[in-house]
Amino acid sequence: MILIGELSLWVALLMAAWSTTVSYAGGASRRSDLIDSGVRGLYATFAMVLLASIGLWTALMTRDFSLEYVAGHISASMPSIYVFTSFWSGQAGSMLFWALILSMYGTIAIATSRVRNRELVPWATGTLSAILLFFIATTCFKANPFTRLPFTPLDGRGMNPQLQNPGMALHPPNLYLGYVATAIPFAFAIAALFARRLDAEWLGVVRRWALLSWFFLTIGIVLGMWWAYVELGWGGYWAWDPVENSSFLPWLTTTAFLHSIMIQEKRGMLRKWNVVLVIVSFLLAIFGTFITRSGVIESVHSFAQSPVGPWFATFFFLCTGISIYLVGVRLHDLEAKAELESMVSREAAFLYNNLVLCGIAFAVLWGTVFPILSEAAGKPKITVGPPFFNAVNVPLGLLLLALTGIGPLIAWRKASVSNLRRQFAGPSLTGLVVAIALIALGMRDVYALIAYALCGFVTGTIVQEFYKGIRARQSIHGDSVVTGFVRLVARNRRRYGGYIVHAGIVMLFAAFAGMAFRSEHDVTLKTGEAYEVRDPYGHQWRFVSQGVSTSNRVDRDVIAVGLEAFRDGKRIGIISSEKRAYVDSRRNPLFQPITEVGIHTTAKLDTYVVLAGIRARDVAELRVTFNPLVVWVWIGGFLMMIGGLVVMWPQAERRRTQGGYAAVMPPTQPGVEIPVPV
Amino acid sequence: MTADIGSGMTSRRGFLARLAKASVTGASSVVVARAAGAQQRGAMHDSSIVRDTTNLFAMDQSAARTVQRPPKPGATPIVSLAQRDQLEHRIRCQCGCTLDVFTCRTTDFSCQVSPAMHRDVIALVEGGYGAQEIIDAFVDAYGERVLMAPKKSGFNLLAWFAPGVAVLAGGAAIVFFLRRWDAEREAAAIPQPTNAVGATSEELARLDAAVRGDE
Repeated sequence: MILIGELSLWVALLMAAWSTTVSYAGGASRRSDLIDSGVRGLYATFAMVLLASIGLWTALMTRDFSLEYVAGHISASMPSIYVFTSFWSGQAGSMLFWALILSMYGTIAIATSRVRNRELVPWATGTLSAILLFFIATTCFKANPFTRLPFTPLDGRGMNPQLQNPGMALHPPNLYLGYVATAIPFAFAIAALFARRLDAEWLGVVRRWALLSWFFLTIGIVLGMWWAYVELGWGGYWAWDPVENSSFLPWLTTTAFLHSIMIQEKRGMLRKWNVVLVIVSFLLAIFGTFITRSGVIESVHSFAQSPVGPWFATFFFLCTGISIYLVGVRLHDLEAKAELESMVSREAAFLYNNLVLCGIAFAVLWGTVFPILSEAAGKPKITVGPPFFNAVNVPLGLLLLALTGIGPLIAWRKASVSNLRRQFAGPSLTGLVVAIALIALGMRDVYALIAYALCGFVTGTIVQEFYKGIRARQSIHGDSVVTGFVRLVARNRRRYGGYIVHAGIVMLFAAFAGMAFRSEHDVTLKTGEAYEVRDPYGHQWRFVSQGVSTSNRVDRDVIAVGLEAFRDGKRIGIISSEKRAYVDSRRNPLFQPITEVGIHTTAKLDTYVVLAGIRARDVAELRVTFNPLVVWVWIGGFLMMIGGLVVMWPQAERRRTQGGYAAVMPPTQPGVEIPVPV
Repeated sequence: MTADIGSGMTSRRGFLARLAKASVTGASSVVVARAAGAQQRGAMHDSSIVRDTTNLFAMDQSAARTVQRPPKPGATPIVSLAQRDQLEHRIRCQCGCTLDVFTCRTTDFSCQVSPAMHRDVIALVEGGYGAQEIIDAFVDAYGERVLMAPKKSGFNLLAWFAPGVAVLAGGAAIVFFLRRWDAEREAAAIPQPTNAVGATSEELARLDAAVRGDE
C-alpha cells in the first residue's frame, strides 16, 4: 500500500498537469471534450492523492520506520490517535494534506457546479488543478513524505509531547480545511474574470465556500488558542506569533467578504471590491503557509535555505501577478450597478466594517512582515511583538465591535432620523447602563470600559432583533417564545445565524477586555507554607503547598506540586501543576521538558498555576496567574461555530428566496425598512 | 511569600539532576542525570547536544549575553518589584521562545537564557538604574531585537504609523467616492431646460439673431 501510495503521488502530478492544460485549452476553445477531460482529470487527481494519503497513513499506522517522515514524527510507544494525526504534523505530510483537501474540495465544487456554472467550470477546474499541481509538485520534489532512510531505525523520534493534545490534533486540520477552502472562491473568481461572467452567477458558489472557509478557520483559531492556553503554560491564549497571525489574516478578509457580498447581492455594488477580497483571502492563505514554512520570519536569509521557500515565493508572486492582470483587464466589466446613497445606511456600515477588518488585516500583516522589511532595508534586526499589535489593533477592534452593533440597526439605502431613533434607543441605553454600572463598581481602565459598554450595546442590538422577530411571529402565527425563536432562526438562517455569531464575538471581546485585569504572582513555597493574595475581584485566595512529588512513567519522568486552594476561607480544592521530561524506551530525553498547567475555571475567573522550578527538595517556584473571564473565549468561539453552522445549513430554495438575501432588493424609498421575513 | 529572585537559575539548571536523584527508579536516574548533564553542557555553549533544530520549541541556550553597568554611587533601587516585572515584559527572551523575559522565566524552567537576563535586570535595578536606562543597556548588548516592540523612531516609525495611515486613507477614499456619487446624482437630478418650440439650436440661434436685427 505504501508503494502504491508513493506511485499514486507521481500519477497525481501528471493528472493535475493534464487537467490544468486541457481545462484552460477547453475554456479558450470552448471544446466540450477537452472540458470534460479536464474535469475527469481533476477527479482522477483526487483519487490519486487519496491513494497517496492512504499510503502515508498506512506507513504511519504500521510504524514503517524505513520512511524518513515516519521515523521523524512518530515513535513505537505513541498512542494511535496521535500517530494518525502525525500525518500533518510535519512539512511533507502537511503539503500532501493540503493537496488532499484541495483535490477533495475541488471535486465537490466542480461536481456541484457543472450545471449551474457551466461557463465557469473549465476555468475554475484549470485554476484548481494548477494550484494542485503546485502543491503536488512541491510534495514530490521538495518535501516527499515517502523518502526512505538508508537504514531502518528500531524506533522513531516521536511527536513533541506538547503536540499530543486533543486541541492540537484538531487545530491543524481545521486550519487547513479553512485555508484550502479559500482556493475555491479564488478559482471561481479567476474563472469569472477569464470568462467575463461577472454577474451574480458566480457569487452563490463563492459565498458558500467562503463561509465554509470562515467556519473552519474560526474553529481552528479557537482550538489553537485553547491549546496554547492549556498546554504551553505561558498564561495566555494569543501571543501575536507569526503562525497565529497567518491564520488570522485570511479569517479577517473572509469575514469582510461575507459582509460585503451582501451589498453586492442586494444592491449590485462593490463588485470590484468583492473580487479583490476573494483573491486576497487566498493569497493570504498561501502567504501564511509560505511564511510559516519558509523560515523567512526568522531571517530574510533563511528563506532561500528552506526547501520549499523559493517555490512558495514564486507561486505566491505568480498568483498575485495573474490576479492583478485579470482584475485590471476586466475593470470595466466590474462596474457597480448602483451607488452608495448615504453615509448613514446599512451599505455604508458594511463598508466601514470592511475598512476596519481590512485595516486590522493590514496592521497584522504589516507587523508580521516588518522585521523582514527592516532587515531587507539594511536596518537592525527588530522584534514586533504583542505590545505593537495590541497598541495598533485594540482601537480598531473596538471600532469593529461598535460597527457589529450599528450595522444591523441601520436601514438599507438611507436611514431616516426616526429609523435611527427607534432602532438605537434600546441598545444605546443598554451600553450606557453597563458603562455607568462598571464605573460605579470602580472600573477605571478606559479601553475596558469602552469595550464593556460596546458589548452591552451590541448585546442590546441582538436581543432587540430577536425580540422584534419573535413578537412578529407571535402576533402573526401565534407562536410561543421558544417556537417563535426556533422558527425565526430556521426561516432566515443567514440573518439570525449572523446574530448568533455576533453574540459569540461579544463574548470574545468581553473576555479579551477581562485580560486587562489579569494579575501574575511569582511565588516560592516550601511544603506546608501558604501564600495569600487577592484576585482582581477582591477575593482573598490562600494557596497551601502540599509538597513536591516525583514519579517515573513508561515514557516520562514527572515532577509535580499540589496547592490546596481556598477562596475567602472556603476550600476550592487542589490545583496541581507538573513538569514532564519525556524519554524514549532507553530513557534518553526526547524533548525539552514541558509544563502541565493547573487551571481552576469559573465563569468569572481562571486561576492558572504553573510549576516554574524546584529549589532544594521541596521548595516549589510557581507562577500563579488570575485570568478573568477566559472561559468566555471558549464559549464565544463555540457560539460562533453554532452561528456559522446555522448560516451554512442548507435551506430549501423557496425559503431562501424569502430570506431577503437571494432576491434583489425591491425598489423602496430611502429610509424604508425591508420587512423582516417571519 | 514572593519569589526569591535570582536564585531560580540554579534550581532550573539542576532540576533534572535533582529529579534523577529523587526518582525511585535507579535505572532511570542514570539517563535522566545524563539529560541533566546535557542541559548543563548546553549552558556551556555545547548547543549541539541540547539544541534540537527539528523541534518547534527549539531553544538556543547559549544566546544570553552579559548586560552589566557599574552601580551608581550610593545606589538604591528606584524601580519597584512591580515595575521590574513590567520592565521584563518589554524585553524579549533570546532563547527563541518568542516570549518576554518575565513570562519565559516564570514559565519555562528549562530555559537558561531568561533567568540570566533576569539576573542582569536585578543587578541593574540594585545598581540604581531606572527603567529606561535598563532597557537601553539591554539594547546596547543585544541590539533592538531585544525589545518586544520596535522603538518609535527612525525607520520604525513606518511600522507604527502605516496601519493608521492606511485606515485613514481608506476612510478618506470612502468619503471621496460618496461625495463624487452625490455630486453625480445631483447633477443628474437638475432639470435640463426643455425646448418648448421643438426647434434645433441652429434655428434658435438664427431666430435670436433675427430678433436682434442682425440678419
